[in-house]
Amino acid sequence: MQVMKPVRAAPDSISEKVEKSVKEAQEACSDDPASGECVAAWDEVEELSAAASHARDKKKDNDPLENYCKENPETDECRTYDN
Amino acid sequence: MRRLTSVFGGAAEPPKGGNPDSNTLISDMTTVICLDDYHSLDRTGRKEKGVTALDPRANDFDLMYEQVKALKSGIAVDKPIYNHVSGLLDPPELIKPPKILVIEGLHPMFDERVRDLLDFSIYLDISNEVKFAWKIQRDMAERGHSLESIKASIEARKPDFDAFIDPQKQYADAVIEVLPTQLIPDDNEGKVLRVRLIMKEGVEHFSPVYLFDEGSTVSWIPCGRKLTCSYPGIKFSYGPDTYFGHEVSVLEMDGQFDRLDELIYVESHLSNLSTKFYGEVTQQMLKHADFPGSNNGTGLFQTIVGLKIRDLYEQITASKTAAPLQATKA
Repeated sequence: MQVMKPVRAAPDSISEKVEKSVKEAQEACSDDPASGECVAAWDEVEELSAAASHARDKKKDNDPLENYCKENPETDECRTYDN
Repeated sequence: MRRLTSVFGGAAEPPKGGNPDSNTLISDMTTVICLDDYHSLDRTGRKEKGVTALDPRANDFDLMYEQVKALKSGIAVDKPIYNHVSGLLDPPELIKPPKILVIEGLHPMFDERVRDLLDFSIYLDISNEVKFAWKIQRDMAERGHSLESIKASIEARKPDFDAFIDPQKQYADAVIEVLPTQLIPDDNEGKVLRVRLIMKEGVEHFSPVYLFDEGSTVSWIPCGRKLTCSYPGIKFSYGPDTYFGHEVSVLEMDGQFDRLDELIYVESHLSNLSTKFYGEVTQQMLKHADFPGSNNGTGLFQTIVGLKIRDLYEQITASKTAAPLQATKA
C-alpha cells in the first residue's frame, strides 16, 4: 500500500493540457500502438506532466508563509515540534 | 541541480527580467543550460514527424556544439529558448560565459564533439522500478493521469530511451545509479533507496571518494554500539569494479539518514571528499534538508559530486594560471 503525500495540482491550464494530452495519446495508440504518432503522443504527455510538476513546485516556492518560515523558523507561526 | 550549484556557491536562479519560461539558471559561479533549448523540432514539429524529444532527429547538435564551444572559449552566445509550457521555440537569450558551465538534459554526451568539450560528466541512472515509483508520485495528483497512463507513457518512450539516452552512461565520469533497497525484503514502496556512485578511475583532476582503504573492498554498517539507527538502517559498500570496460570505484549507500549525527558519522569515515573543512558535506545536506533525497544516497552523492566538480574547477584554473608563469621563467 503506497502512502502518498497529498500534492496540489498544477495551475489549471497546464492540468487541462495534461488531461487533453493523455486522451489524445490513448486515441492515437488505439489505431497503431507501434506508430511514431502513438509514441510522440505519449512523449508529449511526459513533457506536459513534467511541466505541470515544475509549475506545482514554483507555486510552492511562492507561498509567503513557507518563505517567511525558511528565514525565521523560531517565530511562533513557524515552530514545529518533532520529538 | 540546485544542490550541485549550491556547492559551488550561491543560489542559481532563472535570469531576471528575461523570458519567464527560460530554462536557464545563473549564479555568480555557474550557468546551467537545459539542452532542450537545442530542440530543432518544437512540440508540433515532433508530433507531425512522429518523433519523440529523445530522438536525435529532434535536436540540433551542430548548434549545441558551436555554442558550448564558444562559451568554453569565453564568447557569449544567443541561445534559443525551448518553452516547455507552450512547446514552442522562443526568441534567444544572451548567455555570457560563466566560471563553471553546466549543460543538462537528454543528450549531453550523445554527440562526440560535445563530449570532448566536457571536463566532467555525470549520468543519473534510475532503475525502472524507481522511475515508475517516482513518476507515480509526481503524476497521481494530476486529474488527467491514472496508473495506466503513467505506465503507458513510460513504455512508449522506452525504445527511444534505450536507443539514444541510456548508452550515454558508458561515457560518464560518474554515474549515480538509483535502485530499490535490498534492506527490506519484498519492498514495493520504493521509499528507501539503494544508490551507487560509480566513479571512473584515471580521469584527470578527479580522485574518487573511498571508504577506509582505497582500492580494497569494504562492507560497512555504521549502526551499532556507537551509532543507533532506526529501521531499516544504513549499509555502505565500497570497492573496485569494471564498468563498460573501464576501471571504476563504486561507493554504495543503501538506507536512510534519520538524524544529523548519522550524517556526520558517515562523513567522518569517508575519504577524498574534497571538502574544505570537516563537516562540509553534512552542512550542505542540512542547508537543503527540504530538497528530495536529503535523507538518502541521492542527496549525499549529488553533494559529493558537487564537491568533486568544485575541486576539478580549482585544479583546472590553477593549472591555467600556472602555465604562463612557467613560460616567463624560462
